[in-house]
Amino acid sequence: MDHIFPIIHVAGIRFDLATLSMMLLTSIIVFVLARLAVRNLSVTNPTKLQNFLEWVIEFVENIIGTSMSMKQGRPYLVLGLSLIMYIFVGNMLGLPFGIVTDVHHGATAFGFELDLKGEEHGHVAWWKSPTADVGVTGALTIIVILLTHFEGLRLNAKHYLKHYVEPHWAFLPLALIKEVAKPLSLALRLYGNIFAGEVMIGVILGMGWIGIPALVVWQGFSVFVGAIQAFVFCMLTMVYMSQAIVHEEHEEH
Amino acid sequence: MDIVWSNFFIQLVAFLILLWLLKRYAFGPLFGIMEQRRQYVAEQIATAEASKKEAEQQLEQQKQALQEARKEAYDIIELAKATSTKQAEDIIQVAKSESTRLKDDAVKDIESEKNKAVAALREEVGGISVKIASKIIEKQVDEKSQEQLVNQYLKEVGSK
Repeated sequence: MDHIFPIIHVAGIRFDLATLSMMLLTSIIVFVLARLAVRNLSVTNPTKLQNFLEWVIEFVENIIGTSMSMKQGRPYLVLGLSLIMYIFVGNMLGLPFGIVTDVHHGATAFGFELDLKGEEHGHVAWWKSPTADVGVTGALTIIVILLTHFEGLRLNAKHYLKHYVEPHWAFLPLALIKEVAKPLSLALRLYGNIFAGEVMIGVILGMGWIGIPALVVWQGFSVFVGAIQAFVFCMLTMVYMSQAIVHEEHEEH
Repeated sequence: MDIVWSNFFIQLVAFLILLWLLKRYAFGPLFGIMEQRRQYVAEQIATAEASKKEAEQQLEQQKQALQEARKEAYDIIELAKATSTKQAEDIIQVAKSESTRLKDDAVKDIESEKNKAVAALREEVGGISVKIASKIIEKQVDEKSQEQLVNQYLKEVGSK
């Protein structure tokens, strides 16, 4: 049961239709959820969804609060909220079912030929978590990492630049490696966890009827992993942000 | 690892758009509402505190008023008691003086009656004495000198 993804070539660029459609679906779900929650906004008598979204906001505020003061962290609240909602919804989307089509060489989508990697016959998976694609997690990571560097330079330039050569300029390579490792670990952790979860589901499905109890257990575990990964991504975003913009306490002593 | 770069760039743009949409149409209004609620709660707490203070003040006033009313009632009762005592004393006093006056009047009456009786008796005794004396003396003594004599005797009798 080796699944490939529906990839088409348009003007020499490869497009992954499954990831793109799931990306769009995830975004729509997040946005519709948020819109439904803020429909009929009320100060004294909030709807259930509004309550839920306010709970999410407080949850993210707490995450921010663990790494920096709320005054410094408030501008990143919307970023954190969007990240955690998008990643959580994305992680959950891939779990309940899969859509796999059996295609032969020459099959097309939107008028473009599917890339079957040279094989005559393939199982194409159309349904998956958008976060199970390294390009997606990489994009989210790059947004976060670029923003941390930008904010570090904007708000805290002296300390931000100094921390590269502290305590000695010879530490510069180490600091640079650290700065490269941050986005890599952030992107690959999320991608690895969700992708591995989906691969595991594929493997268990391959076991047939015997695999059902294992599938139930693994699905439950994947819900847990998906939630934890969304939380961790948001948490690390705020930690990196605080590292870039907050004066480190021990330097002042 | 097969990296599809179009995913990367499309996700980059898509997430920024999602971020903007969420901020513009969902979280912006919601933050406003949450801020309003914060103010609302603060206001409510302030109002509650103010009304509590007012209630305490009013309670204090009520207590004071009650205390005053009690004191007034006590005063009135005391006054009434004092008045009644005084009135009773007055009445007794009046009764006493009245009885004294009555007694004095009676004593005076008795005195005057007595005097009158004495005067009447004197006249009568004088008349009887004259008659007796005239019977005894008959023609020896003229009327005028005889009466003189009798009066002299009677004076002696009255003074005794």
